[in-house]
Amino acid sequence: MNLNFKHEWIETNIGLLAVLTMLAISVGGLVEIAPLFFIDKTIEKVEGVRPYTPLEQRGRDIYIREGCYLCHSQMIRPFRDEKLRYGHYSLAAESQYDHPFQWGSKRTGPDLARVGGKYSNEWQVQHLVAPRSMVPESVMPNYPWLLATPLDLSDVSGRLKALRKVGVPYSLTQAERDANTTKFGETVAAQLHIPDAQKNLVSQANFGNYDGDRSSISEMDALVAYLQVLGTMVDFSKYSDDAFVDNR
Amino acid sequence: MAVTTDSGAEQYNFDIVKKFAVMSLVWAVVGMFVGVYIASELAWPFLNFDSPYFSFGRFRPVHTSAVIFGFGGSALFATSYYVVQRTCQARLISDGMASFTFWGWQTVIVLAALSYVMGYSQGREYAEMEWPIDLLVEVVWVTYLILYVGTIMRRKQSHIYVANWFYLSFILATALLHTFNNLAMPIDLFSMKSYSLFSGTQDAMVQWWYGHNAVGFFLTAAFLGMMYYFVPKQAGRPIYSYRLSVVHFWALSFMYMWVGAHHLHWTALPDWTSSLAAAFSILLLMPSWGGMINGIMTLSGAWDKLRTDPIMRFMIVALSFYGMSTFEGPMMSLKEVNALSHYTDWTVGHVHSGALGWVAMISFGSLYHMIPKLWGTQIYSRKLVEWHFWLATIGIVLYIVAMWISGITQGLMWRAFDEFGNLQYSFVESVAEMMPFYAMRAIGGMFFLTGTVLMAGNMFMTIRQGKRENAILDAKLAHA
Amino acid sequence: MEWLMWFSKYENTKPLALIIFFVTFIGIVVYVYGSKKRSQRLESYRHIPFLDEQDDTKDKQ
Repeated sequence: MNLNFKHEWIETNIGLLAVLTMLAISVGGLVEIAPLFFIDKTIEKVEGVRPYTPLEQRGRDIYIREGCYLCHSQMIRPFRDEKLRYGHYSLAAESQYDHPFQWGSKRTGPDLARVGGKYSNEWQVQHLVAPRSMVPESVMPNYPWLLATPLDLSDVSGRLKALRKVGVPYSLTQAERDANTTKFGETVAAQLHIPDAQKNLVSQANFGNYDGDRSSISEMDALVAYLQVLGTMVDFSKYSDDAFVDNR
Repeated sequence: MAVTTDSGAEQYNFDIVKKFAVMSLVWAVVGMFVGVYIASELAWPFLNFDSPYFSFGRFRPVHTSAVIFGFGGSALFATSYYVVQRTCQARLISDGMASFTFWGWQTVIVLAALSYVMGYSQGREYAEMEWPIDLLVEVVWVTYLILYVGTIMRRKQSHIYVANWFYLSFILATALLHTFNNLAMPIDLFSMKSYSLFSGTQDAMVQWWYGHNAVGFFLTAAFLGMMYYFVPKQAGRPIYSYRLSVVHFWALSFMYMWVGAHHLHWTALPDWTSSLAAAFSILLLMPSWGGMINGIMTLSGAWDKLRTDPIMRFMIVALSFYGMSTFEGPMMSLKEVNALSHYTDWTVGHVHSGALGWVAMISFGSLYHMIPKLWGTQIYSRKLVEWHFWLATIGIVLYIVAMWISGITQGLMWRAFDEFGNLQYSFVESVAEMMPFYAMRAIGGMFFLTGTVLMAGNMFMTIRQGKRENAILDAKLAHA
Repeated sequence: MEWLMWFSKYENTKPLALIIFFVTFIGIVVYVYGSKKRSQRLESYRHIPFLDEQDDTKDKQ
């Protein structure tokens, strides 16, 4: 800007006004968002976090479809009461494969970041079908259709392929699978192999028997499989209490 | 034929303004009805009717989209087209493009609502629309930008009036936010389902950068544009200080974009980001209040209008709520307060003191001013405007008070310990405690909705009356 | 991309943000309120919304 600068130019020149406005509104986002993609400190180095299995991922799709995030958070804060109620505070690493994130913004119901393993499959199914039969004061809607609707298996591999494109390490080639084996171990790597996605999904559903009915795979199977894995991937007994403080 | 009425129509494209104004009222009634319904679902869960289509999780985005994008969006299209034409004394550059923005935008809202109910959602708050709808939004929005900038370029005045600055920053910011927040990978071209390009922490930051700036630019900057035109017009006196409005504009545009991360205090987002956001949230109080003072002081010397003019009262109460929520917001962005308020109903109350108190009230005021002018008549019933004002105000107060009590109760119950250092309450005890306040909130919403229905009826009659008067006028002129 | 790391430290970004903000803000305020002539010019724009006043009455005569 030279000495002859006049605000008048801006006021009378729509192009300049637009450009400067654009500039003013871009700074904040750039400064706050861009660094998150470049600092490795954003995400902790922690063992155990893996992409979801095909069944769990389908469960997550249903979680999003039904809008669960509108009443349930998945982000435990580092407070004493939350530690007692929900468990260890959530790490960035634990949602690194979540496209999109489901941290939520409201707890009409409790946080679900570590709900995995807290209740039995039977409890989860009954609670989803008729929440007030388990918790009389609950205001959660009933979800009976999850049990009645067979899970759509047709596009499982398509979904995983899309996730692979945005950076989740599902494998398509043998080389990718080998890389996963090194990173996550044999068993997990097998689950993440896209060509076997449907087979893996069916065997996990049959083995886990999440909805209590082995004759068919329902949407309930998938959702419960997802709920049961939430927050269980990291073994916190391996880390000291202040191991993750630096990442905050 | 009717020379006088037609000359108005030729100078400006008011047809498009009329269409958007009417749809704004339609979406207000629909969106607020759905709001009251989902509020009732929380108080009386049987209302979910075991149906996927009515369950809270799928219905809530219908409410937010219908009120923000349907009601708010249509009101902004209507008023921005009205303001830009009148302050530039130029007609919109293209009737076709204007018409496209109308049909395109209405299609977006209808498709969005249907798709949520059918179970298609991106799972991002206030951006639940899946990728095909997002693309349509993008096209409509770029058309809007071209139309708006093109019209400003045609202006007869060398100076661009400040209301247009605010509308312009809203259009630009919304384009930026919408584009980046909705970057996603569809499963395939024939599937509605997509996955966000970002994950985890980065995704959270992008989403709340969007989420809060949807508030900052869609629900604030744009409605300030509305304020800078309609408050002076209704008061019959110019804005209190034009210089203040310049400072207001740059400070607000610059600062809002920093504050989104205050939605992510105490989360896995690096601490510096949310702290920086909190610092800017506090600073934002200055331009916000600057704008509020500018609006309210416009009335200085004519305070009696508050008693005599119910439309003016809508606007001044809107500005007061704007001042209140822009004070509450920075307070809630303090980490210590946020530790209590976050995840509770307090946030919901805060949003609604802004959305009902500021956004809806200033829109009502502006529409009451504009609709009779558009159809060349007087308001059908001022008495109904009075009624609307009181119903709306009582509704908001009931709503906010209910959410304050329930929010703070939740926050305190969750962190309460007994004498042995154990948690004092189970989660569900806090849920049970909420019931009366959820009912009170639903009733507050019903008050507000009733007011809106009165307005829709009143405006329907006003438009009918305007059409009839014009027909008589035309007939007379044809005789003469 | 190494230089971007500098921005990742809040002890850098905080003061930087403050400096950017203050310089810009003071600049605008000084500009807007700094000169009497400019003030008068700016305030004259308050009347733009009323310039189309005749049209309002023209609609219904």
